[in-house]
Amino acid sequence: MSNDFIVKLKQAVLDGDEEIAQSAARSALDSGIDPLEIVKLSIQPAMDEIGDMFQNGDAYLPELIIAGDAATKALDLIMAKLAEKGQDFNSGTVVLGVMYGDNHDIGKNLVLAVLAANGFKVIDLGVNVQPKQLIDAAIKNNADIIAASTLITTSLPYTRELIGLLTAMGKRDDYFCIFGGGPVTPEWVVKAEADGYGRDAKDAVTLCKKLIEIGSRSKLSEPIIENALISK
Amino acid sequence: MKRSPDIYEILERAFHGEYCTAKDWDLKKIPTAVRSVLKKYRLENTCDPDNPVNFDYDLADEFYKAGFELALMLGYFVEDTERIIKVDEEELSYALKFAPSELFLGEGKDGTWLRSRTPADPYPCKVACSLGITVSEDIFLKLVSGIAREREVDVLEAGSLITVNGHEVLSGTPIETLMGYTHGQLQRQARNLAGRPGMGAIGSISAVTEFGQFGAYGTPGGFSNKDLALILFPSEMKVDYRTLNKVIHTLNMGGVIKADSPSMIGGMVGPAEGAVVAEVACTLLSYAILMNTVGGGEIYDVRYLSNVNREGLWALSTVNQALSRNTHLMLHNIANEVSGPCTENLLYEIAAGMATLACSGATLSTGPRSAGGKMHDHITPLECRFVGEVAHKASPMQPKEVNDIVKKILPKYEATLKTPDLGRRFQDCYNLDTMQPIPEWEAMYRKVKDDVRDMGIPLDNF
Repeated sequence: MSNDFIVKLKQAVLDGDEEIAQSAARSALDSGIDPLEIVKLSIQPAMDEIGDMFQNGDAYLPELIIAGDAATKALDLIMAKLAEKGQDFNSGTVVLGVMYGDNHDIGKNLVLAVLAANGFKVIDLGVNVQPKQLIDAAIKNNADIIAASTLITTSLPYTRELIGLLTAMGKRDDYFCIFGGGPVTPEWVVKAEADGYGRDAKDAVTLCKKLIEIGSRSKLSEPIIENALISK
Repeated sequence: MKRSPDIYEILERAFHGEYCTAKDWDLKKIPTAVRSVLKKYRLENTCDPDNPVNFDYDLADEFYKAGFELALMLGYFVEDTERIIKVDEEELSYALKFAPSELFLGEGKDGTWLRSRTPADPYPCKVACSLGITVSEDIFLKLVSGIAREREVDVLEAGSLITVNGHEVLSGTPIETLMGYTHGQLQRQARNLAGRPGMGAIGSISAVTEFGQFGAYGTPGGFSNKDLALILFPSEMKVDYRTLNKVIHTLNMGGVIKADSPSMIGGMVGPAEGAVVAEVACTLLSYAILMNTVGGGEIYDVRYLSNVNREGLWALSTVNQALSRNTHLMLHNIANEVSGPCTENLLYEIAAGMATLACSGATLSTGPRSAGGKMHDHITPLECRFVGEVAHKASPMQPKEVNDIVKKILPKYEATLKTPDLGRRFQDCYNLDTMQPIPEWEAMYRKVKDDVRDMGIPLDNF
C-alpha cells in the first residue's frame, strides 16, 4: 500500500496536480515512510523524468512549471515533517530574478522549476528586478545564493552593480552570486567578481549544489564555470 | 465594416480589458487555447523533422485558419496592467484588409521596395543585416559601414552599442536615451561612409526600453521616418507599456512600425505546431493592436535558442507559408544561427535558415545572429553578404526543392547546435586597414558557397 502512495505522488508531480500530490505525500508520510525516501523515490525521479521529456521535446515549459509547483506543494509537507524530526531537506535558499530592463522570463522560469524540484527553496522576484531588490530579498530570507540572469546586454551591467552594492553594504561574503543568460559569459562572471556561471537550467542546479557543498565564499578560490561555450 | 481600434481605444482596453493574472495567462489560457485549436483543426503531430521545410500548402492554410481563430480567442496580454486587449473579428479583418502590401524603405536610389510575397515568389526576399550583436564603440563605424557596403544587404540594422562615449549603457536609465541618440547618429554616418546615404534602416536595435527609442528614432541625424521603427515585444501574445510607448512615439514621428515577437517551441505554446499557430495569431493581432506596417512570424526553439534545427526550420517555413498565402501582409523573419564568424558551420546555418525563409514567402529577413548573438564583436560583413546571396537566390525556389537541399545541409551542423564553435571577433577575422576578410575566412566562405551552389541554390560563381 505504501508503495502505492509513492507511485501516486510521482504521477501527480508528472501531471502537475497539486491537490493529489499533497494528498499522496500526506498519505505516504502517515504510512510511516521516511520523508527523505519519499523525495528520493517519487519527487526527484518525477522531476528528472519531466526534465528529460522537456529536453527531448516531449514536454514543454507549462508542464515543467506545473510539475515544479506540484513538487513544491508535496515538499512543503515533507519538509514540515522533517522539521518536526529536527531534520532538514532544504538544499539551500536561492533568490532568483531577471535583471532590471529585461522582461524575458522563460529561462528564469526553467531555472525556478528545476531548482525547486531539487529541494532548493526559491524566492522568485520575477523580471525587471533592481539589484537592491535581490539583496533585500536575500537578507529577508536568509538566502545562500543570489541567482540573476538577463538576455539583454544593456541589463548585464546590473549584475556587476549587484556585486558592487553587496560589497558596499559589507555583505559580499554573505551570499554566493551566480549569473546566466544570453550575453553572460564566463569572462563576464570573472570580471564582475561573481561566483559562478551556468549555461542552462541543469547547470544552475549543478552549480548551486556545488556552492552549497562548499558552504562559504571564503572557501571559493575562483568562480565555478559550468558548460561554457568557447570562442577561438 | 467596423474599423480597427485607434490608439486611444487600444490604451482603454490595456487599462480596462479583461483581468487575468500573468500566471493564469502563461499556464492556463495560452496552453489551453493553443491545444484546443490544434485539436480542432487536426494539426497535432504534423511537424515532420524528416522534411524540415514544409511543402504541404494545405497544411499551412489550416494553420492560418487556426491562428486566426486563436487571435480572436486570446488577444494580447498587457504585463503592466494584467489586462487583455482583445479585438473582434470585424476589427481584425479591417486591420488585415487595409494593411499596406508594399513600402519604399529609405530614400532615392539607395532605398528598396519591400513587397508582400508568396512562397516561391520571384520578387526577392529583402535582407536586413545584422541582428543586434553587441559591438565595441571603437570599431562600430568601421564594422557597420562595412556591412552597409555589402551590396547584397538591402537594409541596415547593424549591431548594438555596449558603451556610449566610453560609458557603459544601462537599460531603462537616461544613458540609454543618450545611447539611442548616438546609435542613430552613428548608423546614419555608416550609411554615408558606405556611399549609400539613402539606404533604409531598422532602428534602434540598441534600444531595449522606450528610452533608447526616444533617443534614436525621429531625432535629427538619427533614424528617420523613412526607416522602420523596431518594436519588439516581450513574448508571443504579450505586450507592455514599453511596447505601447514605442508605438505611440513612432506614430508621433510619422514613422513606420515593424513590430514582432517570437514564439518559442518548448515554451508556453508547446510543440512546434503550437509555436506556428501562436505566431500566426500573434502576427495577425499586431496589425490591429500595434498598427504595424511590417509584422513578424519569428519562431525559436527554446532548447537550442536557435531556429535552424529541424523543428525550428519546419516551423519557420510553415508560419511564413500560412501568413504569406492567406494575407497580403509584409512579413519579417529571422534565422537565428549559433556558430560564429570564421567557422563553416555559421555559413551552413545561414544557408539553411535564409533559404527556408526566402522560399516560404518572407518579405524581409534579418540576420545573421553570428555566435547566437552572445559574443561581443562576433559579426563580420562577409557573412552578411552570404545572408543576402542566399536569400535573394533562394526566393523563387519551390519549398520542396529547398527541403531537399536543407536535408543535405543539416547534417553538416546539427550535431553541434548545442555546443557551437563561437568563432572569432571581427577584429580577428578582418584586416581592418583593407577591410578584407583574412584568407582563412575568405577560403571558408568560398568553400561553403561552392558546396551550397552544388547542392542546388543558384549562387553566383564569384
